[in-house]
Amino acid sequence: MSAVTTPAHPAPSRDSGGINVKLVNRIVIYGLLALFALFYLMPLFVMLVTSFKTMDEIQNGNMLSLPKAPTFEPWLKAWGQTCVGLTCAGIKGYFWNSIKMVVPAVIISTLLGALNGYVLTKWRFRGHTLVFGLMLFACFIPFQSVLLPMATILGSLGRFGVTLQNSVGTSFGLGNPTVNLVFVHVVYGIGFTTLFFRNYYEAFPTELVKAAQVDGASFFQIFRRIMLPNSMPIFVVTVIYQFTNIWNDFLFASAYAGTGDAMPMTVALNNVVNTSTGVVEYNVNMAAAMIAALPTLLVYVLAGRYFVRGLMAGAVKG
Amino acid sequence: MAFLEIDGLRKRFGQVEILKGINLELEKGGFLVLVGPSGCGKSTLLNTIAGLETITSGEIRIDGRAVNDLHPSKRDIAMVFQSYALYPNMTVAGNISFGMEMRGVPADERQKAIDKVAKVLQIGHLLNRKPSQLSGGQRQRVAMGRALVRDPKLFLFDEPLSNLDAKLRVDMRIEIKRLHATTGTTIVYVTHDQIEAMTLATKIAVMRDGEVQQFGTPAEIYNNPANVFVADFMGSPAMNLIPATIGGNGGDLAVVLDREARQPISLPMANAPAGLSAFKGKPVIFGVRPEALTDPEGAERNASHIATADCHIEVVEPAGSDTFAVTNLGGKGVVARLRADANIQPGTNTPLAFNLTKAVFFDPATENRIL
Repeated sequence: MSAVTTPAHPAPSRDSGGINVKLVNRIVIYGLLALFALFYLMPLFVMLVTSFKTMDEIQNGNMLSLPKAPTFEPWLKAWGQTCVGLTCAGIKGYFWNSIKMVVPAVIISTLLGALNGYVLTKWRFRGHTLVFGLMLFACFIPFQSVLLPMATILGSLGRFGVTLQNSVGTSFGLGNPTVNLVFVHVVYGIGFTTLFFRNYYEAFPTELVKAAQVDGASFFQIFRRIMLPNSMPIFVVTVIYQFTNIWNDFLFASAYAGTGDAMPMTVALNNVVNTSTGVVEYNVNMAAAMIAALPTLLVYVLAGRYFVRGLMAGAVKG
Repeated sequence: MAFLEIDGLRKRFGQVEILKGINLELEKGGFLVLVGPSGCGKSTLLNTIAGLETITSGEIRIDGRAVNDLHPSKRDIAMVFQSYALYPNMTVAGNISFGMEMRGVPADERQKAIDKVAKVLQIGHLLNRKPSQLSGGQRQRVAMGRALVRDPKLFLFDEPLSNLDAKLRVDMRIEIKRLHATTGTTIVYVTHDQIEAMTLATKIAVMRDGEVQQFGTPAEIYNNPANVFVADFMGSPAMNLIPATIGGNGGDLAVVLDREARQPISLPMANAPAGLSAFKGKPVIFGVRPEALTDPEGAERNASHIATADCHIEVVEPAGSDTFAVTNLGGKGVVARLRADANIQPGTNTPLAFNLTKAVFFDPATENRIL
């Protein structure tokens, strides 16, 4: 009997020792977590409080203190009046520029990635691994190395657009900076989206495709009716990834639409902050930066809970 | 002319030949079971009939029409998959009617067909559920419903019961058999379970390494196996395959079985197969099913030729309905099937009756049957 009870009631000294070690571990873990959270949240906090302060308060007060009289003035100014380069109509136009570029780029690159993944796993052809390998390679090409060749291609497309304009009457958007950016981001994004979807569809039961074939569904009917409706998790992952990347892109945006009316948000923000005339309006700059960051935050909040789930689904399901 | 005919079917993946010249035929309303161990090519064969795999050479005809180059949907077949392959995003009704939808059948006709099938399979209350909300047996039923609703010429089943638990498997087996009996459909069914093969089939094709080892009715396969592989694969417990020699005086042959540390048993043979005399004095493989090796009181009364011999019982396994006794003959464990109430003790010597009319002989070199 004693032999049975001993393990259930260990010596008190050992017990308290265990608790102490546990407690120290907890303190270290949570302490580190709190430290890093602080580290990451501090800039956001400074941005947020600064954007609600008046210029007087910023110049005379503490950077970390809360605004004494919170004002939306900087936000309104950033949105509607601040100067981007020489035009002083706020950043709202550039915000819509970004939306007009990001939405089609995300949709097209995601759908093409899904289609590629579908073909590479369910309609295998000779050399499919080579094709997939080359697609993967696209993920590792540095942005900088494609800048000049891409500029040449976009130039040719633009000239072709002019030719079309003269002969047919419409350029079909060729040469338009927004269309150019959509094209660049789709091309650059296909590698990633294909990788995501291929890995997801690799674990997707092939018997479903066979059953649909026996049922008489065509290549695209299977894609639309069977594959896409069952791809929600990986869709969310891909959309978040692509949206964040394309929205935040500065290099392509400044290289191919760095001036003029089609300038995306990131470039416009840079121009707002880098203005060389007058006083630097920190509150307006911060508000503009917050506005620029909002869509990606929104996408995370709305779809974020699927993000982890999607990554897990691809990884764990056999 | 048979309903389903497969002629000289070959399938090659690169250098590897998966199917090495398959010839099969099945009459209308028949139930053909393809059975064999994993990797024998039975599922590949089914997929070639379905059109989900291309073939290298040969011909497949359904109802007199060569279907080699037809798309699966044009072959007038329906298939039930091992994983059921129900579309997770559609309801049960959607799953059942998807094929009709793809063929452009109007909605009201589809609804009628769904209702009819739901009635046959008793899944009416499940029609609005998603596959994830169904149990294994219900999914199985829906998968069969999806096949049935098409009213095809040929049904293909790919190990449909292997994902179910043991009890449900028996229930569904009976249900499939009943379905076959009431609807009179023609079925090709793949399984690795020899009991499913025996109970369901009107014709069995036992396969190994891409070749048909034997093709015949369940009774033929069971009682007259063509070679050692078929004899060993079909039947549970498996047939006893005992190394033996053929002895005897003059024209009378006898089977001589070695025993450990004792005189060999000599079983006199009457009506021995004609080919056996050539093996006189040579080794053979003596095949006897456990039910043909039993206690003398339990031996089949109308068997014409029974030989009795004393055997040393090593293990006794009471299985409820029967009692299995293991003895050692020719250096191998040999299973005898006795009545449940047979009075038998391990470690004793007991007379066992060999029903030699049911015995078969194989050539140890080729492993083929000696006729």
